[in-house]
Amino acid sequence: MRQGRRSTRGRRWFRARERDPEEQYLLGSHKSVPYLFSLPSIALIVAVLGYPVLYGVWQSLYRRPRLGAAEEWVGLQNYLDLFDSTEFWRSLGRTGVFVAGALILGTVLGLFFAFALYRVSERFRFLRAVTVAPYIISNVAAAVMFRILFNGQFGLINQALARMGIDGPSWLASPDWAMFVVIVTQVWTDLPLTILLLLGGLMTIDKSYLDAALVDGATGWSRARRVTIPLLAPQILISTIWLSYSTLTSLGVVLALTGGGPLRATQTLAMDMYEMAFRHLKFNEALAIATLILLINALLTLGYVAIGRRHEYQQ
Amino acid sequence: MLLIWTVAPFLVTISVSFKDRAAVFADPSLIPSSPRLDAYREVLSSESFATSLVNSIIVGLGTTLLTVALAIPAAYAFARFRFQGRHLLLLATLLPRLVPGLGIMVPLYRLAVTFGLLDKRLTLIVIYTGMLLPLVVWLMVGFFQSIPREIEEAANVDGATLWHRLRYIVAPMSAPAIITVGVLAFREAWNEFTLVLVLTTNPATRTLPYELYLMQGIEGIANFPGEAAFTLLTVVPFVLIYSRIERYVVAGVVTGAGK
Repeated sequence: MRQGRRSTRGRRWFRARERDPEEQYLLGSHKSVPYLFSLPSIALIVAVLGYPVLYGVWQSLYRRPRLGAAEEWVGLQNYLDLFDSTEFWRSLGRTGVFVAGALILGTVLGLFFAFALYRVSERFRFLRAVTVAPYIISNVAAAVMFRILFNGQFGLINQALARMGIDGPSWLASPDWAMFVVIVTQVWTDLPLTILLLLGGLMTIDKSYLDAALVDGATGWSRARRVTIPLLAPQILISTIWLSYSTLTSLGVVLALTGGGPLRATQTLAMDMYEMAFRHLKFNEALAIATLILLINALLTLGYVAIGRRHEYQQ
Repeated sequence: MLLIWTVAPFLVTISVSFKDRAAVFADPSLIPSSPRLDAYREVLSSESFATSLVNSIIVGLGTTLLTVALAIPAAYAFARFRFQGRHLLLLATLLPRLVPGLGIMVPLYRLAVTFGLLDKRLTLIVIYTGMLLPLVVWLMVGFFQSIPREIEEAANVDGATLWHRLRYIVAPMSAPAIITVGVLAFREAWNEFTLVLVLTTNPATRTLPYELYLMQGIEGIANFPGEAAFTLLTVVPFVLIYSRIERYVVAGVVTGAGK
């Protein structure tokens, strides 16, 4: 009798140990340790990221009729008013140009530089360090640099163009060209990560695929297009998602470079949100724009993933 | 090509920073004909640069320390222990990584006004830490998982307590990882602009990017050499640190983004 009871207890102890060996073993008697360890981080994340987002979405359903008056529940009225204003659709269009431009330029340059870095010899390893340099620069500092670079009177770009006999525009003062400079600056600040992602992908590609393609007579561009780029699809997808997210929610570059001008030529949705909140002090309306930006970002991400998946099947 | 793309903006900025205001227009060549240090002298002697530099250092170091202090135990718990709700809590830690700074800018401003937290360096430190934690915990979980469990088990058999194992095995082995995330955290706090812009109203708590941004607007005629010198002075110290630990940072960036 006694013997039997001990043996069942023994078996149960054994089973429990088998199920959670680490907890039983490394944790000893401190069952609460994992919670004590992780809860401070989680609490702070919820307080700084989780709660403000929900609070923002919730507050976007209210409105303050006059400055200083109490907030009133208006449901989706802030959103409906946005959809009614032509300025919103123009900003959306400019944001589209900004994101699409940055995506195309960023992906093309990213692929080009990643291929280049992949092929340079060990001696030029320092190039990789140079590539990452823009990553340590703040958006504002990058904006200052590009304002000097693209200055209409003494900027290096216009000097180079003048040497080729082209009279360069005064980039940032021109409504036609300001967006171009903003895109280039945004891509410059984001490119290090894109390059490193793609380079990381290139390094994991099995060389035998490339050799096989070479044996089959595929060289240069056709090899890159038919073999290497499809194999890089996962990394291109991630860098696309990341570039798009970064551009869509970019405020620092635009604000420091053009402030939305000239003539609202670079007024993106992010700038709309900022002005609505801190120039017109219409916080609830600004939160409606912020919520829309979050929604657009989510939809775009889903779209990229869907496209990426289709391409994966095709290869 | 790569070199030109990356380096050209730096070169023109360096070039302009050594000219005086008239020479920027009169002498557009890349190498100034009469280089002078006036712009640097001007920036270094300005009070706003000194104040914002101190603020940036405080906020940068504070963010780094707080981030590392909170992320290490959390990541260790997620990497080593199987506890109830582990997956849910890990999700709650990592998912907010998708929240952009832009989305929380206005809500945080309103909350800071409500609770009287504007114009405090501690507010910035806490917010930056919260924004960094998802990425940093993610990185550290990976690093901790790469430390073989057997080492800790052996120490456990030898009678080492949890604290001893953390102190003498885990911490030393994850030193490179801690440096990596420390640099990431410092960079973020050093460079962040839009949240400082809305969460500080007073020159005493502004950090360098905000002060640089203001510099463009205040003076009627753009002070290009001054701005250029200011930009370079905010960048140069970081380049020096960075060049020593580039390898760690590259590794961190790649793993962090690749999730």
